[in-house]
Amino acid sequence: MKIACFVEAYNFDDKSERNALLKFKSTAESMGHLFEFIFKEDITRIPEYDALFIRATTDPSNSAYIVSRLAEQSGLKVIDDPRSIRTCSNKAILHDLFLKNNVPSPRSLLFTGDYSQENLDSIFKTLGCPVVIKTPYTRFSSHVEKAGNEKELIEISKKYLRKSKVLIIQEYVQSHFDWRVGILRNKVLYLCKYCIPEGGWKVKSKINGKNVWGDTIAVPRDSISPELENISISLSKCVGDGLYGLDVKETDDGYKVIEINDNPSIYDGYEDTIDTDIYEKIINALVS
Amino acid sequence: MIIVSEDEDESDSSPLLFLRQPVHDSVLNINHDYRYLRMGYYVSAHAETYGVEVTPDCTEIMDAYRNPLLIEKARRYGLPTNGYRLVTKPKDDLSTPVMLLAVNPFTNNSMKIVKSGSKLPGMIKKMSMDSRFPVSLHPVRGEVLEIIQMFGESSNDETSEFARRFFEIFNIPICKLIVQIDDGNVILNHCEPALRKEVKWDIVHEKVHKIKQSI
Repeated sequence: MKIACFVEAYNFDDKSERNALLKFKSTAESMGHLFEFIFKEDITRIPEYDALFIRATTDPSNSAYIVSRLAEQSGLKVIDDPRSIRTCSNKAILHDLFLKNNVPSPRSLLFTGDYSQENLDSIFKTLGCPVVIKTPYTRFSSHVEKAGNEKELIEISKKYLRKSKVLIIQEYVQSHFDWRVGILRNKVLYLCKYCIPEGGWKVKSKINGKNVWGDTIAVPRDSISPELENISISLSKCVGDGLYGLDVKETDDGYKVIEINDNPSIYDGYEDTIDTDIYEKIINALVS
Repeated sequence: MIIVSEDEDESDSSPLLFLRQPVHDSVLNINHDYRYLRMGYYVSAHAETYGVEVTPDCTEIMDAYRNPLLIEKARRYGLPTNGYRLVTKPKDDLSTPVMLLAVNPFTNNSMKIVKSGSKLPGMIKKMSMDSRFPVSLHPVRGEVLEIIQMFGESSNDETSEFARRFFEIFNIPICKLIVQIDDGNVILNHCEPALRKEVKWDIVHEKVHKIKQSI
């Protein structure tokens, strides 16, 4: 089979990401498949392939969405498929999905700029204090800020509302790490702890003016608790049957899902440290 | 059927109110702007999350608003186009006059026509934001027109049959179309949001009224 892997130049900047891409290629080739990296200018060549694997950042506004949709229309097997991109890339749509499907998650509200005192009071009464403010297009902990009072909420939300009609305001849940549950075809593919760096409150935190990432600790997928597995699979089935990464907090009140991402990070020496067969399983999903 | 609109008199809900409620009935989403991250898009996404039929759905919106997807779909359904080429940087084999459309997340009303070959590299560099995003290039062979399509009606009599077919294929209630008239044929180049003031709301009202009566 001929597999196209859609990438952008930045996917090769980081050594661990570059090595992971090369592992995908060598794994596919060892299984008897052709695996080629394609870029923006190769979009019209998509019908030449049997399957498409997207590693460039996905978003409905990006070239990756166009690539995904063209591949789907040409009958290719696609990871990430257009519907998964549309659902997972937008935290306002995820908020809706979580409500509709009773997914255990931090309390959240959609915010469109109602600064009446009644509404501001209601936000803090419902969600507590502090609150987390997110744009729908947040990724890798960017465009997410914490507001500890009304003044901060107004300041942060006004800044974000310049670019988005809708924001998500969420209850703040403190933790030392997020579970990252990698899901493929509605089965657990890998399990990690994405740690919060000391002095920060999210996986990528600004500490003393510098962006600092927390450690990634891989954990055997078979050790996942039945409750976490059940929550993760139930949610992934609401989105589709592709490749996803769920971020989940473990609290005294049980697990709380923060988000489900399409196009989850897979870096050599990080997510693949314990369950080393993730490359083979993804290639198999693309060709079967 | 629930009609969701800010502009249409016969609507059952405003977009903002609609987003705060569960949905149990099919939805007609009437908006002059369905762009991603705008209210028009969120209404359709909300309806889809609740598993109800919605016009237009998010796939249809994206297929119409992302230029390569628009042209590929038009081709598949036999709506005339004169092809497109995606580039991220200037090439030696590009000819003018040519229409350029930005395929990036930031730009609306991006259409530019370049008549002189010497100006083309600079315009591609600018519209691709220094090769970061593709630019869709369409040859210019006829008269370029902007028309407003409303439920298959056109703001321009010459393109009425074309607008009817466009709506049949793409299912977008209101949009602006950039077309060329070449030897009497209407050729599709682009689809983007209409401005509120460009829409003939009396036509929209009449169409919505008919739809309501037929339910």
